[in-house]
Amino acid sequence: MRAVDGISFDVDRGEIVGVVGESGSGKTMTALSLLRLVPEPGKITGRILYGENDVLEMTDDEIREFRGNEVAMIFQDPMTSMNPVLRVGFQIEEAMAAHRRFTGQQARDRVVPMLQRVRIPAAKERIKDFPHQFSGGMRQRAMIAMGVSNEPSLLIADEPTTALDVTVQASIIELLRDISRELRAAVILITHNMALVASLCNRVIVMYAGRIVEQGPTRAIFKNPQHPYTWSLLRSMPRMDEVGKERLVSIRGVPPDLGKLPTGCKFHPRCRFKVDRCLTEEPPLAEVDPEQLARCWVLMKNVPNPEMQS
Amino acid sequence: MSRGTLVYAAQRLVLITVTAVVVSSIVFIGIHQLPGNALASERRNNPATEAALLHHYNLDLPWPQQYVLWVQGLAHGDMGESLVNMGVQITPLLLREARVSVTLGLAAVLITIGVGLTLGTIAAIRQNTWVDYVASTSAVVGYSVPSFVWAFLLILLTVSGFYAWTGGLVYENIGWGKIEQIPVPALALGLPYAAIVARLTRASMLEVIRQDYVRTAWAKGLKARVVILRHSLRNALIPVISILGPLVTGIITGSVVIEYIFGIPGLGQEFVSSILSRDYNIVIGVFTFYAVLIGLANLAVDLIYPVLDPRIRY
Repeated sequence: MRAVDGISFDVDRGEIVGVVGESGSGKTMTALSLLRLVPEPGKITGRILYGENDVLEMTDDEIREFRGNEVAMIFQDPMTSMNPVLRVGFQIEEAMAAHRRFTGQQARDRVVPMLQRVRIPAAKERIKDFPHQFSGGMRQRAMIAMGVSNEPSLLIADEPTTALDVTVQASIIELLRDISRELRAAVILITHNMALVASLCNRVIVMYAGRIVEQGPTRAIFKNPQHPYTWSLLRSMPRMDEVGKERLVSIRGVPPDLGKLPTGCKFHPRCRFKVDRCLTEEPPLAEVDPEQLARCWVLMKNVPNPEMQS
Repeated sequence: MSRGTLVYAAQRLVLITVTAVVVSSIVFIGIHQLPGNALASERRNNPATEAALLHHYNLDLPWPQQYVLWVQGLAHGDMGESLVNMGVQITPLLLREARVSVTLGLAAVLITIGVGLTLGTIAAIRQNTWVDYVASTSAVVGYSVPSFVWAFLLILLTVSGFYAWTGGLVYENIGWGKIEQIPVPALALGLPYAAIVARLTRASMLEVIRQDYVRTAWAKGLKARVVILRHSLRNALIPVISILGPLVTGIITGSVVIEYIFGIPGLGQEFVSSILSRDYNIVIGVFTFYAVLIGLANLAVDLIYPVLDPRIRY
């Protein structure tokens, strides 16, 4: 079974790339494969280039040195992502001690400043706490501190706010943005929150059924969504400036079962604009606008579609 | 150790004392309902001597009164005198024997935990490979074979086996007193329990290595050894600890048979021989010692919990 198929994208230093899509669209698997953390018996084929080096070609030692040092990951659920039996400070120190960027003494000394940097009050005392003594938001801050402690050049945040209270979501996102700017690190932000993408990301990748269906600069994607799926996603998002004017549209149907993918375009059973070709042949990811790629036959045939231009 | 833990331990110690008194009382009352006594034998005694003996041991008194006297003695740590070997004080005798039994028991517990954790962990990280199959199958064999069968197999292997294979150079005698005589009986005692620990550890590890925090540990770039030992095994141990209470109890009671087979002068052997010779006072004493030992062992196990898991506080 292919959970993710034919994914290809790049991220530059300092850039924030949003990966959006419904649950089960392969966002997390894509992120995990970047660190070769796909759970058994998953396999990754192709190439994952970090600078000149192919992550898939690295030896066990090289990949270990790469994880957490060059590329750090922040997971969805801070409640379960920290080891319950180890002190928070230790878990952060350990992330640094595992790599050669800092000496043991530097690692120890950096724990408190790191926690202060993610705005945890009374950091000096809190390093001795265990994760269950932290609130959800504080744990996610601590996870961010752990992630950025080695000053990685790429930070992958896998739905970092999904498990958190709405009131703390904004502060976590703000923190992520500030810290990535300070480090001049690239960020891959996995989310299904379109509003977050709009406010934070330079570029957007829209995934559906393990494929990229559209990608491009955030501005273009929001102003001029090309793929019917992207279009529906945006329609399902509430907007402050349109209160009362329009009903939120839900995308009819359910995401496909990855074991029983439809033939042709994977979105066609839910698509309102499908043509015959969509049922039999999968469209390629093609340029529909400068910088903007989409995977849709209708767009390529230049079929005028007034509804999609809205 | 926190204040709460100390209070908890103190409460448990009181409970252990109460248990010991209750156990000894039940045994005391029960054993005095049996017909005959330790002095009854085929040999005819002089009636006057017998009366004197009965009086010496307070056996001529009604048993409620004997009981009161016995409890008074116990309060001073005096469990009385052996009925069979006159003049032998029971408390120092049993203390000496308890030291032997505890040494054997601790060795067995160490073997159990060492073998069990190692096998279970290896089986879990090599799940569904031949390593796992070998470890899991050995575990089934391990706990299907009772201790006393292991004892005979091990005696055959070490005592006669080594002697024959080395042409008489290595001769290990069973018994007690030399350090090299500890491992074989400890192994016989611990193997079935090691198998249980191995299976439990494997199941627990399999669950833990799929946890999010283990994925975090890998994502941090930690070494495999650190991920497995520090992040996985430590968490996997928490459910394994819960089996240690019944396990230690099993090892303590199992030592009755093993000590008898290996001729180890511990509480277990005393237990068997005192019942056979109807040495009431010793029987009661051994039961009381066992009750205290099992209570202390379970307390020790419970005190490990908060050390392993900071979320547990007493």
